[in-house]
Amino acid sequence: MKTLKRVQRWIAAGALMGAVALAANDGIGTANAQAKPKKDKYLIYLSLSYSGNAWQSEAANVVKALAKTPPYDKLVELREVISGTDVQAQISAYESMIAANADGVISFPISPTALNRTVKRGCEKGTLFFMYDGTVTEPCAYNVSYITAGFGENTAQQLVNALHGKGNIFLSRGVPGNSVDKRHTDGAMSVFKQYPDIHVVAEYYGYWDDRTTQQETAKALAAHPDVDGIWAQAGENGAIKALQAAGKKLVPVTGENSNGFRLALANPDMRAAGLQGVSSGSPPATAAFAFKLMMEVLQGKRKLDTHNIEYPLPWVPGNQVKVCAGDKPENGCNTFPAGKVPDSFVTEVFNSRLLPELSLQSALKGEATPGQTIQPLPADAVIAAPDQPGINCQKCSQRADAYKLTKVSAAVK
Amino acid sequence: MSTRARPDFSFIRGVMTNGVTMVVVLYVILYAVYSHIEAGALSVSAFSDLVNNTIPLAIAAAGATFVILLGGFDLSVAGVLSLVNVVLATHPLDGAGGALISLLIAVGIGAAVGLCNGILVAYGGLQSIAVTLAMMILTRGLALVVLDAPGGGVSDWISDTLTNNLWGVVPASGLVAIGVALLWALFRRTDTGVALYAVGKDQTAAALSGINVKRTRCIAFVLAGALYGVAGFMLSAQTASGDPNAGAPLMLLVFASVALGGTAFSGGHGSLYGSMIGAATLMLLQKVLFSSGVQSFYIGLFQGLVMVVAVIFVNLITYLARRSHRHA
Amino acid sequence: MLNSKASGTNSNAQPGPAADNLARGEDTRGAVKWQRETVSAAGVFVVCIAALFLSRLINPEFGSLHQLQTILTLASFLIVVSYGQGLTVLIGGLDLSIPSVITLGGVLTAAWMSTLAPGGAWWQIPAILAVCAAVGVVNALGITLFRIPAFIMTLASGIIVYSLCLGVTGGTPGGAAPASLVTLMSGRVAGLPLVNLFVVVFCVIAAFVQSRTSFGQRLYAMGSNAVAARIAGIRINVMTVSTYALSAAFAGFTGMMLVGYSNGATLRMGDPYLLPSIAAVVIGGSSILGGRGTFAGTIGGAILLTIFDMVITSLGLAQGWRTMISGGLILAAILLQHEGALDWVRSIVRRRRSTTTRI
Repeated sequence: MKTLKRVQRWIAAGALMGAVALAANDGIGTANAQAKPKKDKYLIYLSLSYSGNAWQSEAANVVKALAKTPPYDKLVELREVISGTDVQAQISAYESMIAANADGVISFPISPTALNRTVKRGCEKGTLFFMYDGTVTEPCAYNVSYITAGFGENTAQQLVNALHGKGNIFLSRGVPGNSVDKRHTDGAMSVFKQYPDIHVVAEYYGYWDDRTTQQETAKALAAHPDVDGIWAQAGENGAIKALQAAGKKLVPVTGENSNGFRLALANPDMRAAGLQGVSSGSPPATAAFAFKLMMEVLQGKRKLDTHNIEYPLPWVPGNQVKVCAGDKPENGCNTFPAGKVPDSFVTEVFNSRLLPELSLQSALKGEATPGQTIQPLPADAVIAAPDQPGINCQKCSQRADAYKLTKVSAAVK
Repeated sequence: MSTRARPDFSFIRGVMTNGVTMVVVLYVILYAVYSHIEAGALSVSAFSDLVNNTIPLAIAAAGATFVILLGGFDLSVAGVLSLVNVVLATHPLDGAGGALISLLIAVGIGAAVGLCNGILVAYGGLQSIAVTLAMMILTRGLALVVLDAPGGGVSDWISDTLTNNLWGVVPASGLVAIGVALLWALFRRTDTGVALYAVGKDQTAAALSGINVKRTRCIAFVLAGALYGVAGFMLSAQTASGDPNAGAPLMLLVFASVALGGTAFSGGHGSLYGSMIGAATLMLLQKVLFSSGVQSFYIGLFQGLVMVVAVIFVNLITYLARRSHRHA
Repeated sequence: MLNSKASGTNSNAQPGPAADNLARGEDTRGAVKWQRETVSAAGVFVVCIAALFLSRLINPEFGSLHQLQTILTLASFLIVVSYGQGLTVLIGGLDLSIPSVITLGGVLTAAWMSTLAPGGAWWQIPAILAVCAAVGVVNALGITLFRIPAFIMTLASGIIVYSLCLGVTGGTPGGAAPASLVTLMSGRVAGLPLVNLFVVVFCVIAAFVQSRTSFGQRLYAMGSNAVAARIAGIRINVMTVSTYALSAAFAGFTGMMLVGYSNGATLRMGDPYLLPSIAAVVIGGSSILGGRGTFAGTIGGAILLTIFDMVITSLGLAQGWRTMISGGLILAAILLQHEGALDWVRSIVRRRRSTTTRI
């Protein structure tokens, strides 16, 4: 028996030694590409951390749709990699992409800090890293995100205005331990703190999911049936469903961009019952914008000096909801009719100025819009984002007016 | 019939029926497939990247093996990893000396959690799955209290040195893993090491032969916790930052690694080496699936199939070997 | 033993009613009446009520009828899923594929049921449940035929099912909930939520099946000692297949309930139910090794977890502290199931009974 164990240990050690010896013999394999001449085929990786909710799928679909739109259909080889919520899996995926000599990686990063070392190595090898919506604090990566545009503070002020500066409110947050959730909530609290008559009576985590938000709001309503308003991150439609199920009158609700929420905001019966609010928040269109930016930089058509790019904050108050007639978001319409898309469809996936190539089929299925070609981005498309420590920069400090209001002003004092 | 004339197959049978050998063979096969698909697979940098990625999971799986050998479950691995990660990221200590102290802190935190688990399970008589589930929630909450959003910074010495290669070839993290394996080899020779297997196989018989079952159980949980601390330390080296949710994705992967490594969940059978190589196999599988161009939605399909096929394979070999042994 | 000593002093006199009962095959000794499992299940419910009373101190709204209805509605998902998990734990296994089967049931319901008719055809519900049960059958086949440990088999099948759902839906499950399920989850009957009545009926039937039918008895036998059960003629393989199929079917039904509740399916809808289902089963007194535990206890565990959740969320603390309190409360609930504590309670109850009645 003892001999057996010893033999096994040798076999295991031998296998490991053999692999190392092979490695040492073969030496370091991959070439180093610093200068980037114009190529006729770019290898681009789309790296998602997880798929399985409408936002993530739409973001991936619009990138895929753009990659299929001429001339990118001949120019770009796009490969999609889903790593799950495990940050090590995404680190491993990035390393494989760098080893495969990717020209560019367009990615939703699962962590703002854990990927930095790998991203830095990739930048040194000449791969461009463009992050959409989520950000990394590594300076060589490009962050394209709305996160610095002040979702939290602007929607909070809108809610305060609707409540005339006093009342009990719920705070429906995202995922605990997440920096995006923290930024939004910090911004919102900076506004609520200024109004002593606004009381946050319940704070819960909806995990950016309609169902979880509905359940958590129901629990909060059981404890505080007399709520006056709800400040919500994604999943806001669930909050409205919980209000309806509790049989109470509706209250002002601010949230993100789900189709169901916008339809509710425009619904005359619900408005009569007390629902008002604003639909703002994370736009999946950021992914397509980041992709077009990356392709323009790769092809030498644009020089990007700034690494943190801000995507403008969507802002649709209840009285500005306009339902689209057809399949294209034209004539300023910003919501789709009830049967066309599920309630959880995120409407801010189009942008007629920056992304005219996209249509509903692009967002739903990742297909290119027939007859469309890639339009160059307007010259003033790039807005620099302010520094936000922990979000998009490492050794930096927050501006004193980081939480200033840009979309709405205080109507009450 | 004289047994002299027959060549002695029992040696080969013994080697083949051992779970460790099977998983090593599986790993080598997978690596061969990987190097065939991926051009740069056999380079030093690719191998050291693979090792760096694997080590946290491998050491965590090694820790879980202690508890599974007793026939129990330890779900607290996720919480301990997160807690150690955020503590190291919020209190970075510089230099090699600081790294050593950080390692001791990590091991201390893990061992303390393991001690709580051990006392409640061994001396309290509670079920391990329940206690470790509660401890996981507790430690996860504590990690959130320490750091409420990803951030902080692990000391540079830890994150640079432990992800680099020594002498350009040998990954430093691989040395840590070999250290853990050596410690296990020593542990196996001690009374407690033997007692661990005895208690796992048959608790009553072990008690009757004079083994202090409760003490052995408690020690197993403490050692498991200590190894989780080391795994958290290596995870911090790799990510160089703190995240209160760092450990969550690893929980089920840890148990999958242990099962792939041939350790039986009923207790008393298996080894640490198998768990570590099982972890390496899972991480390598990720790379193989990436390189093979499998459509990303269906990666889970292949992961699940490989896990099932691997376990069936091990069972089949064991069954055949036992059958031929009976016939001989 | 002590009891028989006490009755032994009477043995010279006429054999008492207990002896008659024993001869008839009925065991009416006090020790047997108050089984450990009954005590543990009752204990969980006592803690539930205590928690509700204490929570009134935190918020006077707690303990109202409306809140109780909300608790029962929100706990309904966990109760249905924990029944299936409890059955697999009873035979000494574990079902980790529950989150993915919940998703499968939900995705099929949302996508398929609304395509045929707005309300969905009645036969679609059993059809979807059959598909989910097929996953359970595959699990059981792996466990019985190939001797794959339940942990690994169900973990792997969960990953596979999730991946298939992801691939087929392309990341965005479409469709909406059929009217029947929406009515189930949000309709009211005589002022009470329909789902509450459904849960009560479900609990009664499910507890009866587990504890009083021969099917349930056979499960207990298998969990206590599989070898003895096989010798006694129980067909282990068939029973294992039925158990895992039932577990998957209940998980699928939970997915349907979730779709009815929120009018849509998402691909991670089952994730929040894996660890709580195990916790509810264990807090309710079942042993992870099998052979012990009642569904009544599991119901208590599920309701207790929901109450804890509600109470903790209403505390205005940071999430880290809330999570720690949650872990501490679960640990306390588990300590309740400590064998020493239960035996102590039983001995008190028996002592009181034996002072009032003569055996």
